[in-house]
Amino acid sequence: MNDKVQGHSCAAARGVVERKDGLCPVLIGTSGYSYTEWVDSGFYPRGTRAPQMLPLYADSFPIVELNYTWYQMIRAEAISRMIAKAPDSFLFAAKLTRTLTHERERDWRQELKRYREGIKPLQRQLAAILIQLPPDFEWTRNNRCYLAQLLDGLQGFPLAVEFRHVSWAKDSVFAELQRRQVTLVTVDGPSLPGLFPCLDVVTNPSFFFVRFHGRNCQGWQSGNMQKKFDYSYSAQELQQWNDRYLVSLRLQAEKGVVFFNNHVRAQAPANAVLLRELLWRE
Amino acid sequence: MEDRSIIHLNVTDFAVAVERLQDTSLQRHPVIVAPQQAARALVYDMSEEAYGDGVRKGMRLDQARRYCRRARILTPRPRLYRRAMGALVAKVLPYTPLLEQGEEDGHLFMDVTGTHRLFGPAPDIAWRLRRQVLKELGLDPVWSLASNKLVSKVASRMVRPLGEYIVGVGEEAEFLAPLPLSLLPGLSAQELGLLRDFNLDRIGQLAQLKREQLAVPFQGRGEYLYAASRGQDRTPVIPGGTGGSQLSREHHFEGDTADPGELQGVLTALIQVIGRQLRQEGKVGQRIGVRLTYSDGRGAVRQATQAGGTDNDFLLRQLALTALSRAWQRRVRIRSCILVCDRLLPRSRQQTLFVLRSARELQQEKVMTAMDAVYARFGSGSIRLGTAC
Repeated sequence: MNDKVQGHSCAAARGVVERKDGLCPVLIGTSGYSYTEWVDSGFYPRGTRAPQMLPLYADSFPIVELNYTWYQMIRAEAISRMIAKAPDSFLFAAKLTRTLTHERERDWRQELKRYREGIKPLQRQLAAILIQLPPDFEWTRNNRCYLAQLLDGLQGFPLAVEFRHVSWAKDSVFAELQRRQVTLVTVDGPSLPGLFPCLDVVTNPSFFFVRFHGRNCQGWQSGNMQKKFDYSYSAQELQQWNDRYLVSLRLQAEKGVVFFNNHVRAQAPANAVLLRELLWRE
Repeated sequence: MEDRSIIHLNVTDFAVAVERLQDTSLQRHPVIVAPQQAARALVYDMSEEAYGDGVRKGMRLDQARRYCRRARILTPRPRLYRRAMGALVAKVLPYTPLLEQGEEDGHLFMDVTGTHRLFGPAPDIAWRLRRQVLKELGLDPVWSLASNKLVSKVASRMVRPLGEYIVGVGEEAEFLAPLPLSLLPGLSAQELGLLRDFNLDRIGQLAQLKREQLAVPFQGRGEYLYAASRGQDRTPVIPGGTGGSQLSREHHFEGDTADPGELQGVLTALIQVIGRQLRQEGKVGQRIGVRLTYSDGRGAVRQATQAGGTDNDFLLRQLALTALSRAWQRRVRIRSCILVCDRLLPRSRQQTLFVLRSARELQQEKVMTAMDAVYARFGSGSIRLGTAC
């Protein structure tokens, strides 16, 4: 086997869906990788300890979305230790810390400064910073100003914005994101009133960003993560989603990243593999 | 063995935080909590602003007043703090029965290992709890998550008064290495001094020493230092019960004392009060702690434990004296002492099956019953324990 083919098969084995027929390449991964229940569910071998999870995960996927950076401020030393466990070609998307999105009672400018400092070691392997805004973050003058300031403060980083509230689904919002070269996150979630809809709008041709949250309507409002993200996509649902949205997104951008957030009982990695195989077959 | 997930919740300056909930005008002032009626009162707690001005726990109140002249001085209300602690515990208990609480000081350790299928990942539990406690109680705890109590406690110290810290499994030693030794829990001032003499000031430097090297200067404590500096701690989270998880009594001496007899007499009197309360509440205590404050403001805490617990004044007194001998290591006079009885359990009414109690124990039990009858009829000061020389 020559090097090129071998390189391709390694990339393929780790889940990169290559460019094909005008469709851009796609990197598929999951939201988070360090879940004890993924050992129980068989994704990680029995007895896998937390420090061993990232290298094992990187054997299967080329990219991961870091969830823990939402819970606590990102710290350079911790990030450096984590990067060392993954291959050089492995990519990360890092969530913006909740003190800048959901709980803004602290001095957000100071928090932003800390975040910029903390993420520095990741810069070479950073696919995007994910700015996930809360459901009560509506399209108001104050919130628009805040978001504009936040995007200004993060200038220079690849950015993706996920809205949860439907009021942001406006052409003016998309135009502004386009002007700023900021990616609008495409979300697949439960069909509930008030939630931001699933759209194939590409505001940044450099990359698109997809998050599959699962479609558990009851669990979504339970306040319990185990219920909220307990959903498994069927092959048919993923095929329909590909036909309706993914093909369109792939035609509009240079590359794409797709994450499955339905982590409960390791449904996310199973669905990520399912989508990958589906795209390979095409 | 499965990696553990230990959450440490800590409401900083707990007494002040509770007082500020009662009186919101206190938010605008530095606050010092100290018994004002005592002749030589010591600071019980202080706000972050007062701390910034140099006020410390155990400091003499008159000195603290000089350091922070604008501070509002409040008399401690331990019952109020105990109630607030009970409310905090009630929020945490639905997540895990493995919950260890300090005194009414806003500290909680939770072992949430294995609860992920019910409640999701441990960081999410910690975050939700903090949000719930803030929303429903108005208290804003610091939280940290690590694989053991020691590391989670250090992590909390890193971010207080506000924030959170997650230390990943396997990263304990690297996390601790750059930190100053003073952040490592459980080190006495004497041990810190000795480490300074060896030119060690970071935890990572201590972790480079072998067991044998530590055994020479630190003897029995060498093993603890060896493990702690590497972030190793297998001590379990010990459920401390709910509501009043401990009983404590405090005594301030009229003048600083170095008289062992006087100190033992005071502890005996305090034990009587606590022992009677235990019997009234149908509980037994498994641990007695003695906290001494020396005349120079420095403190020392040591404990003695009794497996299975006891409510017998004679046994409790023995434990207190053992703890006292462990705590009183300096040739410095004592200003005040606090006696704490914790790890409380409900008293079992069932007789032991095989181990028969000695005649002496039976005799002591009769004496206790008789003393309780006297207390009930003539009041708490009517009869006291004494020792014959």
